[in-house]
Formats: sequence, C-alpha cells, structure tokens
Amino acid sequence: MKPFLTAAGLVAVLAGVSPLLSAQWQLPPGAGVPKTPDGKPNLNAPVPRTADGKPDLSGVWANPWATAGRGGRGSPPAPVPAGGIPEATFGNVGAGFKDGLPLQPWAAELVKQRMADNSKDNPDAHCLPMGFMQFHEHPQFRKILQAPGVIVIIYEANYGLRQIFMDGRSVPKDPEPWWYGYSLGKWDGDTLVVQTVGFTDDIWLDINGNPLTSAGKVTERFRRLNYGTLEIEITVDDPKAYSRPWTVKVSQRIAPDTELNEFICEDRDAPHYVGAKK
Amino acid sequence: MTIRPLAILAVSVGVILAAVPVLAHHSFAAEYDRNKPVTITGAVTKVEWINPHARFHMDVKDDGGKTVNWEVELGSPAGLIRRGWTRNSLKIGESVTVAGFLAKDGSSLVNSTTVTLSDGRRVFAGSSSETGTNP
Repeated sequence: MKPFLTAAGLVAVLAGVSPLLSAQWQLPPGAGVPKTPDGKPNLNAPVPRTADGKPDLSGVWANPWATAGRGGRGSPPAPVPAGGIPEATFGNVGAGFKDGLPLQPWAAELVKQRMADNSKDNPDAHCLPMGFMQFHEHPQFRKILQAPGVIVIIYEANYGLRQIFMDGRSVPKDPEPWWYGYSLGKWDGDTLVVQTVGFTDDIWLDINGNPLTSAGKVTERFRRLNYGTLEIEITVDDPKAYSRPWTVKVSQRIAPDTELNEFICEDRDAPHYVGAKK
Repeated sequence: MTIRPLAILAVSVGVILAAVPVLAHHSFAAEYDRNKPVTITGAVTKVEWINPHARFHMDVKDDGGKTVNWEVELGSPAGLIRRGWTRNSLKIGESVTVAGFLAKDGSSLVNSTTVTLSDGRRVFAGSSSETGTNP
C-alpha cells in the first residue's frame, strides 16, 4: 500500500490531530512474501508464477489511490504519463478524459439526473452489487485466488464475487443477465485477458452513475508488473450507452499484511435518502 | 445536553477530512446535510457493529429537557477494525460527545465526524462523514 497511506500511516496522521485509543489491526506478512534485507515485504521482487509458468495474480490487493482517500466524485484520477491510458476513479470512471466519456444522449441525461439525485439510487447504496469498475476502484481490498481452470476474485466491499473461467469454455448462447457478467479468461503471454458479457441492465460503473447495459462487452487486461504491482486496463464497448469504446486503467498494490473482513451489507440508510425533487 | 451548530469544530474537522479515506456506501449528500453540523452529548444505549456502517444509539436531552434517542452513523466495521477499533471500543452507558452532521430528512440521526469520551479521548476516528471516496 505504498506510496499511498497504509493503515499505520492513517493512524499516524490521525494521531497528530487527536488523542486516539486504538491500535492498528495488522496481520504479519504470510509465508512466501519476499522480503527486503530489513524484513519488509519486497514489492519489487519478481512476479510469482504458478506451476505452468504463468504469472500468479493471487493475493490481497489494494487500490492505492482510493485507499488514500482520493477518487471521490470531483477529485482527479491518479496521474499518468502524457499520452497514457487515463486512470479511472471510484467517483467517475471518466475523470481522466478531457471531454468525459462518449455517452449517448440518453445516457448523458441519465447521468445528469443521477448526480442531481445525490446518487441515491446507486445499487451499492442499497446493498446491491457494485458495477465491476466500482469494485476495481473501491478503497476496500479484493482477493484474487488463482486455481487451475478458474480465477476467483472476492471483493471485500459488499462481499462481491467474480469467477473468471480459464478452462476454454465458450460463452453461453443466451447468458443469464448477471451483475458481474460471464467472464472468460486466457493468457496472452504474461497478460491475463478477460472478456465479459451478459451483464444485467442498469449497472453503475461509478458514483456518478455512468451506466453499463446488457449490450456491454468488457475486456480487462491484467498485468502483474512485479510482486507488488498489478495493472488492469479496461475497455468498455457498450454501443447502447456509449458512441465508441473507451479504455481506462486501474493500478493496484499488493497488501501482504491484511486479510479480507466479512462484509454483509445491512441497509439502514435507504429510508433516509433525499434526491433532487425533495 | 443541547444540540447546537458547531462552526468552530467544522474547521478542525477539515483537517481530518483531508487525511482520512472513507468507506461510505452511499453518497453523503443523499442522506446528510453538510450545512447542518451539530454536536450532541449523552449516554450510549446501544452499539450496532454492522456493515456497511457501524452505528450506536445515545440518549440526548433536548432544550425542553425531554430525552431523545439519537442514532449515530460511523464508518464500516471493516474499515474501523483496520484502524484498531472494535465492537467493544464504546461501552453502554458511557457518556460521549458526538460532532457530525444532521440527516436531511429531519430524523434523529447524525453522521459522526468525531466521537469523544468524557475524558477527551476520541474513538472511531475516521468515521463516515469524513468524506473522501463518496461525497
């Protein structure tokens, strides 16, 4: 979780402004974590590999930008090199595009209304699953489990769960509309390429409410650059909602000193929500 | 204890606002009013250690002397645990002062910014109104 703030860093920051009673909840790095000479996790160590020689993406991962408290609505995305693929944010996946996302007129109107309504209808705000980009961008952690034939991602936030089938199967002819879609993965060299279709309608990609519809096709390219760094390039091709495909990037960092908490979402807030018309 | 606006506290809150990430699952503005800061003091009556927002209840006397049970929203247990807080960090019957923001719908509900014990120590720092990801 460096160079963004770690849990310890947050406590330190808070300790500077108020007397605190807490101690940090932290687990010791597990077995197999490469260490620097001073005993800390070596984030620059080589990429771990599975028995078949493919990169092993397994681990608990953090979105550093979001975990540091950035990425909300209106805040800028993480900086990228000139000409690079823009980073998405939890608040606005299109934050890195100068002219915003290429929304179809109806979708632009929808986003405008959702924002005016304080995003009160965001599925997440009702304990329903987040759109997959919200999961990628969420400040809470996610855990990748890589097994022969399948890769599973558990998202701590709302206990989201994705399966990426790696066994060479085809997409069902008429896939069920799913919140997480139907994901098939294959390796392109050291890059895991995941293609997903079969989404339900009305998925929110971010807090602003940029949509994803059942016409959407999503391609994610996962690259583990070293022990500590995972980059994901995401291309959304949803002609119903957008006039052209668009691509964003998400950067994640290994979190070897924590684990997922159970997260059963109990909705107590929705009865209090107030939109634009009240 | 009475309920009053707390403009001065809002300034100190700003210091924390800039530093602490938040795991609010809903838009702050959908439920709470940033223009209505409050501070309330009273005894804790119940703690609910649930996601996505831990919360507790407290008895507060209004200006007329009538006791009203208030609900106080915190951050998520998942996030609070990582900062060292537990479901036992706050005791039933303990006197606390809460600074935060009122619910827009007029209910006795506060999104807490700080929760301070009678000896001045704070618990649950980094709670849900300290917006970062989900204003």
